[in-house]
Amino acid sequence: DAVAVLPAPQNLSVQSTNMKHVLTWSPVVVPEEIIHYSVEYQGEYESLYMSHIWIPSSWCSPTAGPECDITDDITATVPYNLRVRAVLGSQTSAWSTLKQPFNQNSTILTPPGMEVTQDGFHLVIKLEDLGPQFEYFVAYWRKESGAEEHVKMVMNGGVPVHLETMEPGSAYCVKAQTFVKAIGRHSAFSQAECVKVQGETLPL
Amino acid sequence: QFGPCRVEGVVLQKLWEAFRAVKDIVQAQDNITGVRLLRKEVLQNVSEAESCYLIHALLKFYLDTVFRNYRRKAAEFRILRSLSTLANNFIVIVSKLQLSQENKMFSTWESARKRFLLFQRAFKQLDREAAVTKAFGEVDILLTWMEKFQQL
Repeated sequence: DAVAVLPAPQNLSVQSTNMKHVLTWSPVVVPEEIIHYSVEYQGEYESLYMSHIWIPSSWCSPTAGPECDITDDITATVPYNLRVRAVLGSQTSAWSTLKQPFNQNSTILTPPGMEVTQDGFHLVIKLEDLGPQFEYFVAYWRKESGAEEHVKMVMNGGVPVHLETMEPGSAYCVKAQTFVKAIGRHSAFSQAECVKVQGETLPL
Repeated sequence: QFGPCRVEGVVLQKLWEAFRAVKDIVQAQDNITGVRLLRKEVLQNVSEAESCYLIHALLKFYLDTVFRNYRRKAAEFRILRSLSTLANNFIVIVSKLQLSQENKMFSTWESARKRFLLFQRAFKQLDREAAVTKAFGEVDILLTWMEKFQQL
């Protein structure tokens, strides 16, 4: 016999880290039945100008859930309303709407992963590729008192970038942070990583 | 940077992607090929000072009139997602354009307003649905013009 009334999903929330946004909810459980879900969204424009309009999520209409990657649906830095309902065959639950609209400017930005290497006397960094929305500020300096800190902006992660030609026998340190233009925010700096150059300082 | 107005947090590339995804569908619906709403007299030789007023007026018009009236077609053609991306980013831009009223240079504002009225008049001379379709199809002209004021 059909479920009397399909319960609506509960406990909606969004986890967002490094501009990847995931909507989660508590699963709806009906013994011996497989429940699917439909996710829809509405940006500030829709809620202001056409509040009855909801747009099916790119990847989760339907989905086996109970989570949905809404990253591709959030395409502007405005508040987005999000809602989910359960689906069992032709039966659907009521919609559950996220209590607070989600804005991508609340995403958590973590320091980027980085690989600092030396290629002969060349100081090279390879940054974690976090996607097209990310730029990177790299700071590097020679490990000695009073050394000047240099800064380089790197537009893409995932590719080795030459920072400096190093002096033999010296040590150099590097740290990096991300910047996301769409939300005008940057992460904290990573821990500094240092490398020591082989070989002795040549006497002039 | 539109003259005195600075806008951050909008990635024009995303807007281009959204429009390119629907350009063929939208422009194919425009049967009045001999008319252009965003013509040279509206967008050419716009001074930096004028640009803030003009972009504000144009984007507000697109939000209030063009996108709103194109919604049913967008649903029909299943392009609501692209319309949503364009509209929500236009909202970000409009919300960040601080039109300083106090030192509004009247002549600049007046010049920008004349340009906008040229566009609006041409829009009103067409049948409503045809005008909305044509204006939506001209978003690439608008984005191209906006790119000139972009500072990387």
